[in-house]
Amino acid sequence: MWRRCLSAGCRRFGLKGIWGSHAVRRCSAPALPAGRITALQAGDLWRSHFVENGVTEPDHSTHYIIAYLLGAKTIESLEQGKLTELLSREKTEQMWQLCTKRLSRMPVQYVIEEWDFRDLTLKMRSPVFIPRPETEELVELVLRDLEETGVGADEQRTCLEVGCGSGAISLSLLNSLPQLKAIAVDQSQAAVDLTRENASRLGLQDRLQVYHIDVMKDAETFLSLCSSVSALVSNPPYLFSEDMMTLDPEISRFEDHAALDGGKDGLRVIRQILTLAPQILSSPGRVYLEVDPRHPTLIRRWVEANVEEMHYVETQQDITGRPRFCILQKEKSNKDHKLDLD
Amino acid sequence: MAYRRALNLLPRGKQFIFRVFQKPPNAISQTLRFHMNNPCSRTRNLHTATPLMVAKLLSAEELFAMRSLQGYLKKMEMEYSECLRAVNSSETEEQFSEDELRAKRTKVSLLAPLIQSIRELEAKQKEVTETETLMKDEDPALRELAELEREGCLQDIQDLSQKILDLVIPEEDADMSDLVLEVTAGVGGQEAMLFTAEVFDMYQGYAQHHGWSFDLLEHMTSDLGGLRHASASISGPQCYKRMKFEAGVHRVQRVPKTEKQGRMHTSTMTVAVLPQPTEISFTINPKDLRIETKRASGAGGQHVNTTDSAVRIVHLPTGVVAECQQERSQLKNREKAMKALRAKLYSIKLEEATSKRYNQRKLQIGTRGRSEKIRTYNFAQDRITDHRIGMTVHDIKSFLLGEDLLEEMNSSLQEFSNQETLMELLEESNQDSS
Repeated sequence: MWRRCLSAGCRRFGLKGIWGSHAVRRCSAPALPAGRITALQAGDLWRSHFVENGVTEPDHSTHYIIAYLLGAKTIESLEQGKLTELLSREKTEQMWQLCTKRLSRMPVQYVIEEWDFRDLTLKMRSPVFIPRPETEELVELVLRDLEETGVGADEQRTCLEVGCGSGAISLSLLNSLPQLKAIAVDQSQAAVDLTRENASRLGLQDRLQVYHIDVMKDAETFLSLCSSVSALVSNPPYLFSEDMMTLDPEISRFEDHAALDGGKDGLRVIRQILTLAPQILSSPGRVYLEVDPRHPTLIRRWVEANVEEMHYVETQQDITGRPRFCILQKEKSNKDHKLDLD
Repeated sequence: MAYRRALNLLPRGKQFIFRVFQKPPNAISQTLRFHMNNPCSRTRNLHTATPLMVAKLLSAEELFAMRSLQGYLKKMEMEYSECLRAVNSSETEEQFSEDELRAKRTKVSLLAPLIQSIRELEAKQKEVTETETLMKDEDPALRELAELEREGCLQDIQDLSQKILDLVIPEEDADMSDLVLEVTAGVGGQEAMLFTAEVFDMYQGYAQHHGWSFDLLEHMTSDLGGLRHASASISGPQCYKRMKFEAGVHRVQRVPKTEKQGRMHTSTMTVAVLPQPTEISFTINPKDLRIETKRASGAGGQHVNTTDSAVRIVHLPTGVVAECQQERSQLKNREKAMKALRAKLYSIKLEEATSKRYNQRKLQIGTRGRSEKIRTYNFAQDRITDHRIGMTVHDIKSFLLGEDLLEEMNSSLQEFSNQETLMELLEESNQDSS
């Protein structure tokens, strides 16, 4: 079922993608109006231009750009009447610049260079991966566990994030738990830089260490930096390589493929994380992963066969009801069990 | 506020001046109608459906002249001394169980401030009698002194009476809650929507005036800048206690901006004020919810980058719906929609409980506040009239700022409601003892 839906989608998106890329070269922005216009008029003009040129989400795109331009987050939270006021020349030009970017299929988050994740507003910059709403729920799961077990506040707890991108997960955790420390790693220098930038904007840099490490290539350095962490969190690249062809141009042209492509079965990085996890986690530390809905059963089977010290705890669904999150726990080794019995 | 002050300006010579709001033409001798319900867990409405409702506010003096109030206060004093005796004597006699004792101890500490005030009042009244004898003295200097003293005492009596009334009037369950405000355009198309936007802004101003937080949840605008529907979460000290009087149908009479021939239109909008339940007092089973998002179709996750973060939540057993697209974060939208949904469900629950109670008592009152016409904004006469208490104020523009004028209207409503509650309480207490 899944397969079939996806491949149908693939054909559709694929075609659109190809057509879209030609279109970009051909279509240009509408001429800057000679007289002054209102935000509402500018929005209507661009919206229909987006529709003509096959830009996805034409309404939302124009709304977010206008809201950003007028100093709000969403058009719904804009003050009454602001939409019908005339735009200054400067604002109009700015609107044209931003919308022209969107016309090239650049994601809105990169166009306005920021987006919200839970309570935080984060800086966004291509090609660093744009956090998806599902990941807000991943943070929820981690927080729920850490808050539950975190009664003994004397103990300094650390969490580790693999593939931090813009820093969304680590920074949210740090923001919610003032006692927590975090280590974040990413294979991309751009991501490491952006995470650091977001951390200092939010004043969380003192409790966060960010490293430029590729866990696939440099496992040893990775292991030497992190030990006895309470939680390992990751939204690793989990797309199946074949699905990379089906992505919208917003994703395939602007986001780092290394943050998306999880290899043939989407498990390349996940397997590496789970292999290294027992050496990194304290006991009983947990691993929290966001994955493709096809993954949980595969991961459970693979871990049971290959990683003796890790125990598969549960699969959690996202709000749309898809199996989206895997939680695993480090098991005490047999030797520890015996000690317990004594 | 102004009215409260007027009430306190009472002692003037021998006569107390009490303010009468307005005497409707069909005034009946019993000036207040009461509806009864359980004072411990009530949702209090100003009943307004009946045109016979007589709007007269009694002064503290008049209230204290009522036998029922005196009787009630006596009863409280007796209860207090009985409990006090039980608590003090328990060690020797041991005729009460531990639970009974605890209840009595609580009662003592609950009643203590009231009893204290009653005793102070009695002392002051004695003083007044004493000064009155002194006023017959031959020495003019002494008489003048006595006169001064007497005036001071009367002022104290006035303050104490008000304090006692405040202590006697019970708080409504939800009074301490935060709330969700909902405005919806009613009859009148675009004009009704424009008016809805003005009223919504008025309450935003009112929240600001009181230093409450005002957090937008839903906001559905019309093409002309009006509002079809909007909701906001309001929190701050006493916000529900005050805002609850704003619930109902508001009517506007004016020549709309959209009207070409200069004709006067009448349009309406509805205000709902829903107390926001705490997590503990009201739970919803997550299985009863269907959460709808843009991401429900397609693969989701890393496959998709959508900026549509709107969330819609349906409560399946009741079909009640809440949605939010105020925020860029989907999770924040979900939290806000959930907040709105909880308030809606909670208010339905409260309504059911209330109407059940009224039905049991076979009392005829108007339906819930939201369907009653409570206020008219007449632009031609530049007046606002509240139909529940027959009060009229002028200057619509200032009123819509949500500042002093609205506050004045609101305080009057508060006082009427307090008096109603007091009457209910006395009636009940009477029935209990007879």
